[in-house]
Amino acid sequence: MNDKGAILPAEDGVEAALVGWLKETLNKKIFDALLIPVEVPAGDSFAYLLLKDPAILDDASPLPPVMPVQGGKAISRLTMRGSGSKRVAAVVRPCEARAAIELTKLKQAHLDNLWLITMDCPGVLPLSDYLEDPAAGATCFAEASLEGDRGPMRPNCQVCNRFSILQAPASDLHIGTLESADGTVLIVPGSPKGERVLEDMDMPLDAALDGWAKRVGEIEKAQTEQRRRAHAELREETAGPDRLLDVFSSCINCHNCQRVCPVCYCRQCYFESAALKLPPENYLTRAERKGALRFSPDTLLFHIGRATHMILSCVACGACEDACPMDIPVGQVFSLLADRAQETLGYVAGESLEDPLPLVAYEMDELHQVEQPYVEIYCKQEVQDA
Amino acid sequence: MSDEREFEPRIIYFLCSWCGSGGSETAAAHHLHYPENVMPSRVNCTGALPAVHIVRPLIEGADGVVISGCHPGDCHYNDGNFRARRRVALVKSLLDTLGLEPERVWFRYVAHGEGQRFVDTATEFNDHIKKLGPNPLKTRRDT
Repeated sequence: MNDKGAILPAEDGVEAALVGWLKETLNKKIFDALLIPVEVPAGDSFAYLLLKDPAILDDASPLPPVMPVQGGKAISRLTMRGSGSKRVAAVVRPCEARAAIELTKLKQAHLDNLWLITMDCPGVLPLSDYLEDPAAGATCFAEASLEGDRGPMRPNCQVCNRFSILQAPASDLHIGTLESADGTVLIVPGSPKGERVLEDMDMPLDAALDGWAKRVGEIEKAQTEQRRRAHAELREETAGPDRLLDVFSSCINCHNCQRVCPVCYCRQCYFESAALKLPPENYLTRAERKGALRFSPDTLLFHIGRATHMILSCVACGACEDACPMDIPVGQVFSLLADRAQETLGYVAGESLEDPLPLVAYEMDELHQVEQPYVEIYCKQEVQDA
Repeated sequence: MSDEREFEPRIIYFLCSWCGSGGSETAAAHHLHYPENVMPSRVNCTGALPAVHIVRPLIEGADGVVISGCHPGDCHYNDGNFRARRRVALVKSLLDTLGLEPERVWFRYVAHGEGQRFVDTATEFNDHIKKLGPNPLKTRRDT
């Protein structure tokens, strides 16, 4: 990443400045289209639009208060079959950019002709809170993000420590909004691709990033501490079969969490496949063994099994929790699982395109703690003891 | 009926078709015995064993899962056992985080000629699980 950034005047607020700048990129034909959140006509939600006409850009919200669709999923949908000949800029949050990186590694997206533009993310409101009163939600979001208060945000956003390009170096251009007291924001190039855009826009890289980087570092430190504490608490609440089953006992098997998950990309989900649709004898045997069997069965298998499939690519965005109609803290549990699993395998989801996926790569000399040491001739020892 | 005396663990033993199964063949050729409640299951390569198949028996009735593939460097497909090791590490990490006893999963290399080592692993794991006791998820109807 560059240690200098460009300055963008933002007298009328960050969003207006950003929209103005994006409009200019469209007019100058630096980008052919934008993928950007725009408020839906009914005014109660936001949706990504693949936007060609600069006039529509006036309605765009680069930083909407909610995340109804994870941007990584939108980017994957756009570029799954190839990157295309047109240049597209996607305005997304850092976790959405990280999901896009993961999906690219999983061959579900192509970023060759796509620029990821992220910004310092204040978090998003839980969808259900916002839908109760969209107008009040928007005000609440604006106030909270101005004060840097993550209290009303998604639980995963409250403990997010990868909210800026410094901790999530996934994007090509990053908008630094923290420390914008003098009515300007920073545009930080995150890749050579991003630098070229700033060159084409005649924006010199002459702003020092020290003040902004220091502020980001401070918040990151506080957030990391918060995350550690929250995860320790959560582990206390969920560890063990009894507590774990209590947490997931209200699950209605709607599989919404899987459907909205940006990195759950399988065309045929294992947990909806014939592998889990068994003949009645199987269920009756299990019912006999357990005394009774809950229907639909395999709820815990779905959640833990889904974790084995996607946890190493989990960006802890919390889209799953937003989609859960039963308010199961599934996003928080998965964020905890993801942190620990990714730490075990020395990987951070969405950090770079170069790091290989952890289940594809391996080292010869690693993870010896999972190999069970051999007790010499165990049987004979036992025979002797007897 | 005393549960402690009668507890007979249900154990799934995943063996790769080149080394692990070979180990069990060698054990058979030498007329070695291992506990009958250990159920061997052959997979083509431990590297081809999805993590979900390690978790599934643990949730639905097995007391332990043990996986044996070739020694490092001996894999028929060059690197399957290294991949398996990563997957086992992933499963153990998940089980540990959720408080679901990662020690119910064992991963140990067994070569084709190591019949004794295969039998020892089965016996040792059986005793280990007997000491741990039944898998608590086994009797839960709401899994």
